Amino acid sequence: MKKLIIIVLFAAGLLAALASCRKLNIPPKNIIQDADIFTSSNGIQSYMARIYSELPIEDFRYTPARGLNFFWIISATPCTTGEAIGRDQTNSMQENFSGWSWDIWGGSYTVIRDCDYFIQTLPTYASNFTATQVQAWIAEAYFVRGMTYFGLVKRFGGVPIVNKVLNYVPGTTTDSLEVPRASEKACWDQVDSDFTYAMNNLPAVNADYSDGSRANKYVAAAFESRAMLYAGSTAKYNTITLYDAADNQLCGIPAADAAGYFQKALNAANVLNGMYSLYLTSWSATDPNAQYNNFVNLFSDAASKENVFVREYNYPNSVHGYDAYNVPRQLIGPNGYSAETNPTLNFVEMFGGLPRNADGTLQTLDASGHYLLYDSTMDLFANAEPRLRGTVILPGDMFKNESIEIRRGIYTGPSGGGISPLLPAGSKAQYPTGDLVTSPTAAQTAYALPDGTLMNPAGLSGIFTGDQTCAISGFSVRKWLNPNLTVAQTLENNETQTWIEMRYAEVLLNRAEADWELYTLGQGGASAQTDAMTVINQIRSRAGATPWTSFGATPLDTIRYERRKELAFENKTYWDLKRWRIFDKEQNGTIYRILMPFWSATAGKYFFDARSDERNDVYTYNPIWYYEQLPSGAITKSTNVIQNPGY
Amino acid sequence: MKKIFYLGFFALLIAFAACSKVDNYAAPGDTVTGATYDEVTGQTLQTEVGSGTRVELLEISYDSAPVPFYFYSMQDGTFNDDKVFGATYKVSVQGPFVPLIVTDSTGVVITDSSQTIVLKNKATLKFNVQPFLRIQWVGTPVLNPDTTVTVRVVVTRGTNNATYQLPVTDINLYVSNTQYDGNNNYDPRYSSLTSYSDSAGMAVIGDTLTLTTTGGALPAQDVYFRVGARINAGLDEYNYNTPVSITYP
Repeated sequence: MKKLIIIVLFAAGLLAALASCRKLNIPPKNIIQDADIFTSSNGIQSYMARIYSELPIEDFRYTPARGLNFFWIISATPCTTGEAIGRDQTNSMQENFSGWSWDIWGGSYTVIRDCDYFIQTLPTYASNFTATQVQAWIAEAYFVRGMTYFGLVKRFGGVPIVNKVLNYVPGTTTDSLEVPRASEKACWDQVDSDFTYAMNNLPAVNADYSDGSRANKYVAAAFESRAMLYAGSTAKYNTITLYDAADNQLCGIPAADAAGYFQKALNAANVLNGMYSLYLTSWSATDPNAQYNNFVNLFSDAASKENVFVREYNYPNSVHGYDAYNVPRQLIGPNGYSAETNPTLNFVEMFGGLPRNADGTLQTLDASGHYLLYDSTMDLFANAEPRLRGTVILPGDMFKNESIEIRRGIYTGPSGGGISPLLPAGSKAQYPTGDLVTSPTAAQTAYALPDGTLMNPAGLSGIFTGDQTCAISGFSVRKWLNPNLTVAQTLENNETQTWIEMRYAEVLLNRAEADWELYTLGQGGASAQTDAMTVINQIRSRAGATPWTSFGATPLDTIRYERRKELAFENKTYWDLKRWRIFDKEQNGTIYRILMPFWSATAGKYFFDARSDERNDVYTYNPIWYYEQLPSGAITKSTNVIQNPGY
Repeated sequence: MKKIFYLGFFALLIAFAACSKVDNYAAPGDTVTGATYDEVTGQTLQTEVGSGTRVELLEISYDSAPVPFYFYSMQDGTFNDDKVFGATYKVSVQGPFVPLIVTDSTGVVITDSSQTIVLKNKATLKFNVQPFLRIQWVGTPVLNPDTTVTVRVVVTRGTNNATYQLPVTDINLYVSNTQYDGNNNYDPRYSSLTSYSDSAGMAVIGDTLTLTTTGGALPAQDVYFRVGARINAGLDEYNYNTPVSITYP
């Protein structure tokens, strides 16, 4: 009996063994094959959707602290650049890669590999499509790859260039896969070559999506102008160098190459001439209010001819929470947050139409050293540039049909003969509490004014002394906020307004800056100067600002400040301060300034106190951050990859 | 019952067997110690805690281009790491001084003053460097009647190397309630920060500077003062003088 069982088992085993020798070449049903993707335009669309979704653009879901494509936008980017202060960001910072959910190194090289794979594989399946389609799609893959290299080189300097799919053969060494870093110049040239390929091979209108969410010829040109301006600025202003053993310059570009890059930036910007235009739909040359509304609408009108390249969102698949984090405190959503981005007085002072002291700062005192008094907080800003109102919610301005009330407290001291400053000029001390009524939180106890009426010590949007969910700078951000979003809907992961990554205004600003840099390098001559001025005045005219009429002593600064005003809160200033290599000059033991409105109970009027951030948060940018630290994983995996200086 | 006993016995046997093999490499226990000295004054070179002078160890017995190992020196310029593996190292220090390893504009090494050691138990190293700037106290801090404090310092060049004869960009009086006073740790209310333009930054060299704390009266507690200055070279780090305190009357 036992023997029989053994024999049966043995026979069964043999049978099974033989059966498994049959060659199994049925494609696995659970793995998508090339033939599933590269044979239909739906397949191509799904491939495009993925590589586009991983484009490293700093949109509504980006912060230096938590990275790309991450929903939680506290520690907002503008709170690292001096555009704003926020309660969750208290100092300068470099990008915190260890805290990112998307790995900048592995993630970028995955996208690059996906592009390489697409470029290599699609020609095999070309017979399924028209030649025009194949040409355009391959050019789109070049565009995405160029964007991804751009995202790497602006952070790290030279990085490995991998323009074909690397395959590991099991059992062999990995030496051929350990690609060393190329020189920084070679990487910028790679970005240039990818964008140029895309420019030359993409149609004027993307045949799949013509709404600016997919690349066309002009999108590639616009990013070429941005990237080449970055490269030219690095060549001109960078002082950090790093060489590898083979004398490749991994960090820094020879200064002699600056002019070549600026020229490419200028040429690329000029490709868009006449194809896009500044948004002027509801603009009027004579009406500041129309100019203000036009600037606000620019960010929400899908028909805008200014939108060059956008990222669209869709509920519930792809959403963000910009409004929930950034609405003024009095419009706080059901789940909290609000007022994460509070523009600094330093930022507001860049704009025109404000009363000023001799040193250019905002005037808050009269000639005798007493506070200027106002009936309403908006009176101070009566002549402010319309673009400022479109960018920043000023104390007392209207938003969602409400007056946004921002008040630091009620001053109960005497006002006869004028009110003297609460603190000596330049003091970083706390306000004296003697003659002030303030509120620690939004749950306020009203104060009885001399005429018997009741007034809350702080405004509905702050400032509260014990709770920073309010306008801690005296301002709240306006740009991008959706004026039609109800309070009940002001929630995280619930918003879908479109992010405009590239608008024509930036292309014009790229052109002006490239013009001027070429002029200072002895190229371009007077025509470059006048072209820069013309372009800046187009931007200024739309903004309702006074035109630029004489070059003055620091024309490059004029161009740069115009850029910082126009593109504020669009996560561009962070990169501009980096490429100009002035981050460490601007943030050098810096405490940003704020503007605190007070109500004088006895005078029955408002006054403003301009002072340094009450939290005394110091911003010091470390110059080594101009080149970010390579993730340690990248170095552990490949000994050919060497670290940047200072880390 | 017997089965359970046997099973238990085998399980125990396996458990003990797994414990028997010790294949851990011994923990590092060797020491690298020493200091960075200003080659003119012979004093250790002051720096800041955690982000100033750092020591670089390159383990060259295994690989000609190893991944570097770094540790920071203490504030007074001395360094000590007693958990280093015994091996052959090329050691250098990096900080606000003329680099020990100088390369030309294409990355070719011109001079290399790093030291190679075979570490066994303990190695004591002495690095003589030329600081970019030398900051020296003039007299002692003075407590003013309004309880601010005035100090006097002189900032001079620490090197004759023409590459580093650059203008001073910043001279800062740092105030802190600990002696670990520096650009990465100071009280912004009282510290006095001054940036210099190129011409002023050249002219200030050798002058006796009078610096006073800002922000009104200092609190009646331990307060330390230190002056840092830098040029735009290397990683833009600061040179410092020694921290001093004052006694309240």
